[in-house]
Amino acid sequence: MKVLVLNCGSSSVKFQVIETSLELIETNSDRTLARGAVEKIGLSDSRLTLEVPGRKPYQEIAEILEHRAAIEHVLRVLVHATHGVLTHVSEIDAVGHRVVHGGERFASSVLITPEVESMIEDCVVLAPLHNPHNLRGIEAARSLLGDVPQVAVFDTAFHQSMPPAAFIYGLPYELYTRHHIRRYGFHGTSHRFVSIRTGKLLGRPLEELRIITCHLGNGCSMNAISGGHSLDTSMGFTPLEGLLMGTRSGDIDPAVIPWVMAMEEITLSQLNAMLNKHSGIYGVSGISSDLRDIEAACAAGNPRAQLALDMFCYRIKKYIGAYAAAMGSLDAVTFTGGIGENSVVTRERSLSGFEFLGLELDHEANRSVPKGAEVVISRPTSRVVALVIPTNEERVIARDTVRVLGGVMPSFAVPGNEAPR
Amino acid sequence: MMGTRELHKIAVIGAGMMGRSIATRCSQAGLSVVVREVTPERATEVREMLERDLEHEIGRWGLTSPEKKAILSRILFTTDTRAILGCDLVIETIHEDFTAKRNLLAELDALLDPATPVIVNTSTLSITELAQGLANPERVLGMHFLYPVTTTRVVEVVKGQVTSDDAFDAARQFARILAKVPIQEFESPGFVTTRVAMPLVNEAAHVVMEGVASAAEVDLAIKLAYQFRHGPLEWADRVGLHRIVNWLDHLFRETGDAKFRPCPLLRKLVRAGHTGTRVGRGFFTYDAQRHRLDRLPDDTPRLS
Repeated sequence: MKVLVLNCGSSSVKFQVIETSLELIETNSDRTLARGAVEKIGLSDSRLTLEVPGRKPYQEIAEILEHRAAIEHVLRVLVHATHGVLTHVSEIDAVGHRVVHGGERFASSVLITPEVESMIEDCVVLAPLHNPHNLRGIEAARSLLGDVPQVAVFDTAFHQSMPPAAFIYGLPYELYTRHHIRRYGFHGTSHRFVSIRTGKLLGRPLEELRIITCHLGNGCSMNAISGGHSLDTSMGFTPLEGLLMGTRSGDIDPAVIPWVMAMEEITLSQLNAMLNKHSGIYGVSGISSDLRDIEAACAAGNPRAQLALDMFCYRIKKYIGAYAAAMGSLDAVTFTGGIGENSVVTRERSLSGFEFLGLELDHEANRSVPKGAEVVISRPTSRVVALVIPTNEERVIARDTVRVLGGVMPSFAVPGNEAPR
Repeated sequence: MMGTRELHKIAVIGAGMMGRSIATRCSQAGLSVVVREVTPERATEVREMLERDLEHEIGRWGLTSPEKKAILSRILFTTDTRAILGCDLVIETIHEDFTAKRNLLAELDALLDPATPVIVNTSTLSITELAQGLANPERVLGMHFLYPVTTTRVVEVVKGQVTSDDAFDAARQFARILAKVPIQEFESPGFVTTRVAMPLVNEAAHVVMEGVASAAEVDLAIKLAYQFRHGPLEWADRVGLHRIVNWLDHLFRETGDAKFRPCPLLRKLVRAGHTGTRVGRGFFTYDAQRHRLDRLPDDTPRLS
């Protein structure tokens, strides 16, 4: 079947058309027919791009003022006589939506019904910058495609298997019961995908594997995956916790926050922007949030770039150690995301010194990872396998859409892992 | 419920401190903004000033360089009046002068589609009086933004005697787009925020003049007592003491109520040119970044 995958942000809609089915999933041979994006929604020079494998990319500039109009444009270009890949929109069998926050209500991808929509609405308070746009995309797709089934795939759902000891904060318990303040974790779709691919590459069933996945991109998070279940993950209530990121601080002593607010006499919104947009690799280096710039600056001998890179890799290493301990054993460490797939030095530095755990990096293999390939970067003698696996969240969304419609979508929740009420 | 008017493009006439701040907030909210100024030199100058305002906010971690770029990309600085045709709403922020505002309203009234709301940014002038004699006086209403518009969470939306519900609803919708709480008010001198704040400043000045306590101690007492961000005198310095005196004069004239009679100390400072942070001196002294230089030792941030 043909699935339209939509990822609706505040001013953008990313899309893919993916041909997939339960059989194609089994053989890993589903394929992307077209991908693209509408950017700068709300402006007079919004841009629609479309890439079809084997063709020259197509682009148009138009005034696209809201999500409905954006999706309307997408559908029009998909059926365009020369640029399109469909003859009629009725060829779209289903729509899969990325939804950022499913709170505690969603431990699986689900068919979108009015009830599901109102539950996603309930989660807006947890992700005010994301969920409203996801909802707008759902409404728009419904109004344009009628009763084509739509499925929601949540960034948080995979982590709903975490036990309370991993997701409750050491704060007054009322904050959890009143305001749902707990760790949720993000990037679940990506961690799940690369852990499944890791199992396939190792040729072993997921149930018997202890895997650490490192999704290192614009945002960075790590996941301890034990027997296919997310046991712990580094992002928390928001995507600010955990690793050092491009512009986000990751873990800090929370006492720093009131201190800084008092000393600098800044407002809540300035503080929030400071932690999310002025910190991390950018804040420490003072150069850039892009690790490629940092690596170049390190080569030129810039000490603060060096420090930022040291901190970035050190924290990944710390989490690997922690998660190996949490799982009691370790079979594989998998890198994904823009940095995870492309930064030789990040992989090398964060995996150094793990011989005591049975992980021996193959430096040569690590240096020569072909773009887009799934490869092992540890030595044949290494007890723990290190891998690079490109992520593909859109494909997971398309696959989940097929699974939900086929009635074979499992829940990630683990019975007994509910927190006390 | 409010109307479902489309608001995508707005015009700001006059880019003083307030106009720039409004334009910034509108652009941040994703609206396209046309800023009209009187001369090309002035248009260039205000663009540069806005860039400096944004740089300052980057320094306070409130904004990033890409966000600054995005904000500027949505604002057109022009002297061409035709550029405001096609705007969904027009807001004027020229200086607080009755005749100037009235002439501008007449110009806009003749130019714009009758359904386009025209918002007067004023804290003292009468909306009804300003709109009198226009072909479409019902489109005129007041919005009193408070500086800095980028962060204050409130705006007063003021209905004149003939303002239409449609225009009023559009203004409230506009406020919500800017993520501000619209306080609905009927026209009255000083509206709510100015009228309530002025006696506080005036009384603080009287206390200082009577020698009850020094300006610094009066300010610190009120600031700490009521957990204000600034004491009333430093706040007045930041607003500009000449403005404070104008507002008090106006409220006194309109109401005849002695509580609004400006304290002589305020007048004295204004006559000496000590009008506040912008000149570096008012009740207190300030550096070029408007940081106060003469804080008392006890006036330091504390966690408890």
